[in-house]
Amino acid sequence: MLFFSYFKDLVGREVTVELKNDLALSGTLHSVDQYLNIKLENTRVVDQDKYPHMLSVRNCFIRGSVVRYVQLPPEGVDVELLHDATRREARGG
Amino acid sequence: MSSGLGLENLVDQTISVITNDGRNIVGILKGFDQATNIILDESHERVYSTKEGVQQLVLGLYIIRGDNISIVGELDEELDASLDLSLLRAHPLKPVIH
Amino acid sequence: MMEPLEMIKDSLNKQIYIKLRNDRELTGKLNAFDQHLNMILENAEETHTSVELDEETYEQVYKQNKRSMPMVFIRGDGVILLSSHTDH
Repeated sequence: MLFFSYFKDLVGREVTVELKNDLALSGTLHSVDQYLNIKLENTRVVDQDKYPHMLSVRNCFIRGSVVRYVQLPPEGVDVELLHDATRREARGG
Repeated sequence: MSSGLGLENLVDQTISVITNDGRNIVGILKGFDQATNIILDESHERVYSTKEGVQQLVLGLYIIRGDNISIVGELDEELDASLDLSLLRAHPLKPVIH
Repeated sequence: MMEPLEMIKDSLNKQIYIKLRNDRELTGKLNAFDQHLNMILENAEETHTSVELDEETYEQVYKQNKRSMPMVFIRGDGVILLSSHTDH
């Protein structure tokens, strides 16, 4: 649940989701679920000239299983809190 | 209790689906489930190429299996209408590599 | 016996090296992880190794592309291995 909570705290922030097909989508994080499926608003494809396939899409749902990375705002969350939450989480297994 | 991101707000709307094998299928969302399996009505596939404009292949009523879906996009009809697909040149999308 | 996830905890807030699928490698400071090996790295550098075929000589040319990411979430299913040794 750690990352589910982390992403919930980031709702409203700008993120860039990089997918396993090399597509990268920037947008405002609208919502996330337990599978780490992501909904983005105001979606822009990073390399729009190479990937015009989503020109008419502003809001989208991205399946968690297809995500490679999510680039995050560095000032997003308290890093100490992340460390503490991780220590508690890994214990429960 | 299964709290998942729903696609309820997109039911009866036109959506653009990107599948794991790199295809783009546009249609009206009629139903979905927790596994993101979807029912798409009046669907067509948009085939992109670098040599000619976008080809649209009519498909009809389709079920797409959730584990084959990368992206479900809400198609902005106004934006889409302003596009001239016959002028678009692009490489087909790459397949997802897990 | 030390469990693998316990061992990764020892690397929290430290530099680590990650080998990922598709010839990608990352180094960065580990800020968080879970049992799936989903992770957050701070000040990460990705090295992506690819092969190009020279059209004339037909020789295989290995290229390495690097990029920096100030704060990145990595999905665990792409992770092959982790190491605390970052001198790769």
